[in-house]
Amino acid sequence: MGRGALIARPLAVVAAVALALGAAPSRAAAQAGDATAGKAVYERRCAGCHGEKGDGKGPAADLLVPKPRDFTMGLYKIRTTANKVPTDQDLFRIITDGMPGTSMPAWAVLTERERWNVLAYIKTFAGEKLKEAPKKVELPKDVPSSEASIKRGKEMFEAIECHKCHGTDGRGDGPSRAELKDEWGNPIAPANLTKRWTFRGGASRTEVATRLANGVLGTPMPAFLDSVEKPEDIWHLTNFIQSLGPDSPHYATLVTVTAVTGAIPDDPNAEFWKKLTPNNIPLMGQVIVDPRNFNPAIDLVAVRAAYNDQAIVFHLTWDDPTQSADEPAKKLFADAIALQFPPQITAGPERPYFLMGDGSDAVYLLRWENGKGVSEASANGPGKIAAIAGGEARGNAVFTNGQYRLVITRPLVSKDATRPTFTPAVFVPVAFQAWDGGAGETGTRMSVTSWYYLRLEEPQSNRRFVIPPVVAILTLAAMLVVVRIAKGRA
Amino acid sequence: MRRALTAVVAVALVAGVVFVAHRPDQAGAQGGGTIEAAVTFAGAPVIEKLKVNKDTEKCGTETAIEKVVVGPNKGLAYAVVSVAGAKGAATAKKATIDQHGCKFVPHVQAMTPGEVEIKNSDDILHNIHTYSTANASINKAQPKFKKVMTEKFEKPEIIKVTCDVHSWMLGWVAVMPHPFFGVTDANGATRIENVPPGKYSVEVWHETLGKQTKEVEVKAGQTAKVAIEMKK
Repeated sequence: MGRGALIARPLAVVAAVALALGAAPSRAAAQAGDATAGKAVYERRCAGCHGEKGDGKGPAADLLVPKPRDFTMGLYKIRTTANKVPTDQDLFRIITDGMPGTSMPAWAVLTERERWNVLAYIKTFAGEKLKEAPKKVELPKDVPSSEASIKRGKEMFEAIECHKCHGTDGRGDGPSRAELKDEWGNPIAPANLTKRWTFRGGASRTEVATRLANGVLGTPMPAFLDSVEKPEDIWHLTNFIQSLGPDSPHYATLVTVTAVTGAIPDDPNAEFWKKLTPNNIPLMGQVIVDPRNFNPAIDLVAVRAAYNDQAIVFHLTWDDPTQSADEPAKKLFADAIALQFPPQITAGPERPYFLMGDGSDAVYLLRWENGKGVSEASANGPGKIAAIAGGEARGNAVFTNGQYRLVITRPLVSKDATRPTFTPAVFVPVAFQAWDGGAGETGTRMSVTSWYYLRLEEPQSNRRFVIPPVVAILTLAAMLVVVRIAKGRA
Repeated sequence: MRRALTAVVAVALVAGVVFVAHRPDQAGAQGGGTIEAAVTFAGAPVIEKLKVNKDTEKCGTETAIEKVVVGPNKGLAYAVVSVAGAKGAATAKKATIDQHGCKFVPHVQAMTPGEVEIKNSDDILHNIHTYSTANASINKAQPKFKKVMTEKFEKPEIIKVTCDVHSWMLGWVAVMPHPFFGVTDANGATRIENVPPGKYSVEVWHETLGKQTKEVEVKAGQTAKVAIEMKK
């Protein structure tokens, strides 16, 4: 009798007991998790946020928005079922893929077995509440996307008043937004439908249609399956929502500044800007100095830029559900955005500290603030910002349906050493900071980026239209000469 | 002994017949009695007013969350009075929730287990979002073209009804295991009829002020008055 027999015996006993109790084998053997084994995984990996008791009150919970799930309620946002109870597959998928736009990461680092085990343990927190058998939701027959379907989806979007929460253009800025609370009484934001990659339950057509059909449990998002004019409207709505934005933000690594010979419009809605490709830059919460911003409101700024012989012009687009100016009594502050550059552009990898510089190296800030416009400043850290006298920059902003569009114009060449001069074909470090004053962001409570690079493309001269034909003609002539000489010899 | 019993029954019958003859509207068909409840609250009303930022043509520019509504003589409105433990013919009492003027009408009502009709008279989007434990909670959109929906509240409990689109909207539906209940009017009064004779404890529930009970004896064909003062 070796070690194998020692292990085999308890296994046999377990199997016998299971058989004796008439335990039916679950759908797939690999899916029957072991809650006892799952407990160890849970305590190591999950309890920090979800709490030891599974009540969503782990030590990190206070800092998180949205709050970690309280497993004791047995209420799950993302489910493919018509009733309250999610399938095990629904839960497994969230554990495996995480939830975009939240603090829930993808737990692919755990083995599949560990994930099934932890799932089994998580279910024990809800006890009887998850006893009911899950009942799959039946979606209407799929309608592929087409122009007509998107048009019908838009009509339905308006008829069923999605805009009440999600906003006219789908940016999550509807009039009911500020009132929304989840089942636990926490404020909850409606999804920004133009940023599909942040959808908690996934961005695929089937996933979007499922959320529409059976709602998002524990949140204000209701079920619409019985509340559209015709069942297939669920798919028309899905196709319309998919048309509101790209599937991915396609983040940029380099901001290219287009060379222009004529005037550059300072109207943020000008056709000129629509023709330029946006460089999407992701922003993160500032969590280095107090007060920190763990849940930044602004997560992306789309940057377009152009220059001519006089000026460099930046066009910034970002979503902000609330337009706000300075009203400290109401805990509201001015919405703002800033571009940050080193004061002098030097070759080499040395750059000032990305968070507004430090004592030894200053940065130059080009900042726009709602109600005040554009200003220029020199900073030696977030607490040491000094306005630069004789500002040469100006701005023009519009706010429509939860989105700012801003144009900032500045001379290409600077008058002094506190602000940079922009030169074509040079890689210029650039960073961004943004504040959603309506969400209480001000000072160091902001969104930031690290350094990116910006490059002014070389001016396009007419020589590129002249030189190649000249070269071609010369080559042709040379060939003819060669041919003639060859013929003469023959 | 038997003779005495016969005599009592005979007297009771005669009395009953006489009573029926005199007050035909009150005597229960099954020989039940009536409870007249008067619910009062000595404190001040709690009504939160707030500005409306959308759908003002339907909801008005200002609305009120009526947490404690006190009428004349301290009468407390919207209290559910029920006769705990009463058993009788299962006369179903249905409920209809109307969403009208961005309010649930009535604000508080009671029903026996079964179907509930949900109307949208506002021509704008509402969503029926219920908070319950025994019954499955509901969160269904009711766009303007969906005038009526039917849902089921099958298990006794008190269900909170909200609308996330208009967060001030608040309604309550008390699902009762028996048909012996009433909701107090603006004067704090309600009548519960056809209650089988017996000793009961009358239970009062109010959304903000909680629960209270009071003993009452119901005699066939008679009206038992019960006064209950709610306290914070």
